[in-house]
Amino acid sequence: MIVTGDDPFRAVFASHPLPMWLYDRETSTILDVNDAALAHYGCSREEFLRKNAASLALPAVDRRHGTDASTNDGPEFELMSHPVDFDGRPAVFVSVRDVTALRRVEHALARAERDRRRMTVEFEEHVRERTVQLQAAVSELEAFSYSVSHDLRAPLRSIAGFSQALIEDAGDALSADAYDDISRIVAAAQRMDHLINDLLTLSMVSRSGITREPVDISDLANRILAELGDLSLTRAVGMRVQPGMVAQCDPRLVRVVLENLLTNAWKFTSRREQAWIEVGEISRDGGTAFFVRDNGVGFDPTFADKLFGPFQRLHDASEFPGTGIGLATVRRIVQRHGGRVWAESRLGQGACFYFTLQS
Amino acid sequence: MYQILLVEDNADDVELTLRAFRKSDLLNTVTVVRDGVEALDYLLATGEYAERDANALPDLVLLDIKLPRVDGLQVLERLRANPRTRLLPVVVLTSSAEPRDLLTCYSLGANSYVRKPIDFKQFSRALQQIGSYWLQTNQAPPIPGTA
Repeated sequence: MIVTGDDPFRAVFASHPLPMWLYDRETSTILDVNDAALAHYGCSREEFLRKNAASLALPAVDRRHGTDASTNDGPEFELMSHPVDFDGRPAVFVSVRDVTALRRVEHALARAERDRRRMTVEFEEHVRERTVQLQAAVSELEAFSYSVSHDLRAPLRSIAGFSQALIEDAGDALSADAYDDISRIVAAAQRMDHLINDLLTLSMVSRSGITREPVDISDLANRILAELGDLSLTRAVGMRVQPGMVAQCDPRLVRVVLENLLTNAWKFTSRREQAWIEVGEISRDGGTAFFVRDNGVGFDPTFADKLFGPFQRLHDASEFPGTGIGLATVRRIVQRHGGRVWAESRLGQGACFYFTLQS
Repeated sequence: MYQILLVEDNADDVELTLRAFRKSDLLNTVTVVRDGVEALDYLLATGEYAERDANALPDLVLLDIKLPRVDGLQVLERLRANPRTRLLPVVVLTSSAEPRDLLTCYSLGANSYVRKPIDFKQFSRALQQIGSYWLQTNQAPPIPGTA
């Protein structure tokens, strides 16, 4: 910046609303001052010109020199110095800036920052408390299912065991009706055992962590279908598994998904002379959806949303036995992978179950 | 005559187990204790069994996990920590199929883990197989101090 005696900048300097002055860099003598500065310091031009530049920092509150801004509600000023050339002499141009509004904004920002930190701490504390509560709930649930697996099965063993013992002990004394009654007791105990086992699987699925690794879905489906075939050798079921299907998922849990869907397909095609089960993949939701399709009895699409709720059954248990927990387990596993499961069908027209394993 | 120690608190399960063994063709005597404290006293000849010969160990222990006072897992741990019972064949016989029970039992040195089937025929078959395998097929570990 160059300021010379007759410079048009002189006029700007003299009438500028910001207090400004110039002093000699070597002698610290004041060279010029504007009206705003005189008003700011409350003195005449003569008085001001007699001052030493070094003493002029004081009347204006200069935050850079250690004033604690947070306790000062009054106006605040800042001195800004620039080296200049004044008629060929090395000089310093000083202006006073009113930073009151700026400081207020800074204070407000600092307060907001303090509040934010405090709220973060409170929030973290809240999350910690919630986590502790959740952990307590989870371990309570664990204790519960542990207890179920031990204690609920023991009376069942007594019911089934002593019914069987009764048949052995009474021998020929039992009428055909009595024998039938006892057989029903044994069968009911076994159904309840399956129910408990399925519930335990559902609870295990909710508790266990997910470990993703590449899983050969085609191979898994083929193996489960082979196992189902071994269990019912009299049935001829046509099947097709699309080769080369792979997913990043938990191998143990996805086996449970495919076991449930394929066992269902197997079960609900049992009335078909030419049963057909197909496993494949399609593009859906920007990713891959796997499907299990069959030509079995299907279901009424009106109840499609009920399919995946625990204990929901759309078929008579005497026709197609089951606990009604399998598809709830499937949904839980798929959800834990971030995916979704849905089904399409028409009554008597077969069913197709789709699932994705990523969000 | 094989000696079996059955550690089981459920009277019905005791009755069903004895019934299954009666039907097997193994000559055996089953001693029943009802909790973990009694099992340890019996096997280590302490407490109410202090008069027992500590060297007269059963050929096989059938151990339930859920037991009053001291549970089966603790019994197993104490047996494995004692030089006299360290190698004693112990078959865990339980209702539980919890993976953590399996892991703990095998980690603590159980010789076998069998889940009790609900069906009595399967239950009998399981017990007969256990008896026949551990008492007849398997070579028992040497009695401590004689090997």
